[in-house]
Amino acid sequence: MDGGQTTTNTAPSGNSSDFVRKLYKMLEDPSYSEIVRWGDEGDSFVVLECEKFTKTILPKHFKHSNFASFVRQLNKYDFHKVRQNNEENGQSPYGQNAWEFKHPEFRANSKESLDNIRRKAPAPRKQTQSNEDSVPTQQIDLLNQQVLAQQQQIQHISDRYAQLSVDHQLMLQEVLRVQKTVLNHENVIHQVMTYLLSVDARQRRDSKASAPFPAQNQGGSTLSPSQVASMDDEPSSPLQHASKLLSDMNAEIQFNLTSLDTLGEPPKTGPVVSTPTPLDAQRNGIVRPPTAAGGPATNAALVYPKMNGEIEPVVYPVGATNGIDPMYSDHVNNVPYPMPKQEVDESRKQFPDNRKKSNHVDPGWMRSPHILLVEDDATCRQIGGKFLYSFSCVIDTAFDGLEAVNKIQGGSKYDLILMDIIMPNLDGVSACHLIRQFDRTPIIAMTSNIRSDDIQLYFQHGMDDVLPKPFTRKSLLEMLEKHLVHLKTNPPVMEGPQQPTAVTMAVQSSAAQSVKEDSSPGQSPATPMNNWQSPGQYQGMTAVPANLQPVQGQYVPATPAPATVYAVDQNGVQYPTAAPVPMPTAAARPQQRRQISDMSSAAENQNLAKRQRMYAQPMANPVQAARTG
Amino acid sequence: MAPTTPKKTKEEPASKGSLNFSLISDVIDQTTFEQILEMDDEDDRDFSHGIVFGFFDQAETTFENMETALESKNLGELSSLGHFLKGSSATLGLSKVKDACEKIQHYGAGKDESGTSDEPDEEVSLKNIKTTLEDVKRDYKEVEGYLRKFFGDSPAPSE
Repeated sequence: MDGGQTTTNTAPSGNSSDFVRKLYKMLEDPSYSEIVRWGDEGDSFVVLECEKFTKTILPKHFKHSNFASFVRQLNKYDFHKVRQNNEENGQSPYGQNAWEFKHPEFRANSKESLDNIRRKAPAPRKQTQSNEDSVPTQQIDLLNQQVLAQQQQIQHISDRYAQLSVDHQLMLQEVLRVQKTVLNHENVIHQVMTYLLSVDARQRRDSKASAPFPAQNQGGSTLSPSQVASMDDEPSSPLQHASKLLSDMNAEIQFNLTSLDTLGEPPKTGPVVSTPTPLDAQRNGIVRPPTAAGGPATNAALVYPKMNGEIEPVVYPVGATNGIDPMYSDHVNNVPYPMPKQEVDESRKQFPDNRKKSNHVDPGWMRSPHILLVEDDATCRQIGGKFLYSFSCVIDTAFDGLEAVNKIQGGSKYDLILMDIIMPNLDGVSACHLIRQFDRTPIIAMTSNIRSDDIQLYFQHGMDDVLPKPFTRKSLLEMLEKHLVHLKTNPPVMEGPQQPTAVTMAVQSSAAQSVKEDSSPGQSPATPMNNWQSPGQYQGMTAVPANLQPVQGQYVPATPAPATVYAVDQNGVQYPTAAPVPMPTAAARPQQRRQISDMSSAAENQNLAKRQRMYAQPMANPVQAARTG
Repeated sequence: MAPTTPKKTKEEPASKGSLNFSLISDVIDQTTFEQILEMDDEDDRDFSHGIVFGFFDQAETTFENMETALESKNLGELSSLGHFLKGSSATLGLSKVKDACEKIQHYGAGKDESGTSDEPDEEVSLKNIKTTLEDVKRDYKEVEGYLRKFFGDSPAPSE
């Protein structure tokens, strides 16, 4: 191989390898003689000190410091290491660590022969060179094509992306537009609902006032007890269902559901009216027997006919009662006094259940209510604040009445003020009195002092309601919902029923309401208190509208006052059931502020009578209890 | 209402993370207390822990103030302190403590324990408060023990 290759390939002198020439040049430098030099014979060269050679000489001449690659390079040019072992003693004449390489054409003083030293594979090298011209062009063409293709792909993708983003924008705008439309529709629907409900309420009121008797006739003819019973569920459930759906919608997806709900509701209103009445009748019949020991049989009989007559007005009240009952029970529970839970009526049970469900749902405010929590006790403040926060309220707190008054005076606007009563510096009642000089924000007394005279004091100084301490999360929410109906996204549903109910309730419960108010003024503090505390005993009466009604009936006769119109209808019904103990005072007061509303429909009447409801009921109960007892 | 002797039940009404409400129904109102626990985030009890331990501080301070007011025979202050602690204990559902505080409130206001009839003799009222204060402290220690255990705290120093 060696000889053939080298000899045959006679190339121009210029062709001699750089490496070989470098090597030769290096060996000509005498200063390296200790490290690398020509062999003694002149036909080889010897690396005496491998380490030094690698570190100092290689970098200078070959621009690297890798002895192994130097040796590889030598091998490529067909240099061979001279193996000393085979000869003589097996010892290199140049030392143990010396490396001796030789090539036939590589001799000292024979520079010309360097041209004969070539790489082992000159032929392939030349081929590659020739190929290099053609291959590159082919490859470049290929690459170019690929690049072009990729560029096109990228172009496509970017075009598509641009198109998609435009589409996306369009869709977004469209969605926003649809959202707005839906919201507008929702508002319209709410307004329509409110309007319808108010119209409905007005009509009922009118019909009641004008023709209670005709109504009775109708009821008697058209509705049998059984019918009534069947009716009961329908009206309430649709309304509740609708309102629940509405609230759910608000919380999550307002659009579809809301529209559906609204659509569903209007039709319901018509039927609802008729249906609710039956409920009342049932309630009255059912409730009365347990509550009033008097003449159950007669009462029941009487109740139905009369109820039928009033049926329409009653309907809404039914819905209202639902709201009310839960409230009441909550309060009862909250109140330290033990309450016997005698919810005998099936209708009642239904309502509480529904109520609970709805309570756990997001309140569904149109905007977060701003609540001022006035409370000196850190524990109550924290928990109350936390509860309010969980109802999506924006909370401000004041440590005492003074701070609260200052905040209101400073121009802070709230939707509701929760006011502790006993506080340092300025108590809640005084604070409320001051605030009422210039501000009408609803103020809820938050206190464990709920004796009737206490409560009367609160109302006298302009408070709107009382939330007995310790309040529960539920009772707090119900209080909010009661006084912030206007912030609810589904107010129409509630309000509509409430108003009508209020009216009807007022009629029915006017007596009861009056009772409450009456009781506070007329009765001694002690008796009211007892009544309050022991609502459980008479609770059936108090909590349930039915109870109230009987009371009303009782009182109604006694009281000629404003409630008379209503009283008439109810009287008929109620008289039989409840033992009539005429309360002069009660009669006079029946329609006073909140109590009336509270008593009758507390829950239902929220708009009108909401605030006093709770107290009124308890009040009424005591009175009733006293009377019945 | 009447404070029963708060001997710890052998059935361990409280352990870390759970309370056996049925064993201490007269001490803690389950509904009220649980609705506070419901306000906690899912993975911790930071909120309720803060509330309850804040109440501990409040209660200790109030007891001290009551002792002071008792020494100075300040019935009005005692009534007000009783009302104050009644509010926070009721909010937590600590029924026993609340009931006792309410009594102190009534005694301090010159009434009988239920607040219905007057008690003209201040000395009687003070004496009643003194007794009730002992009761309420004991009731408090009891419920504090349960709650500290419930929250995984080291048990309260026994009386």
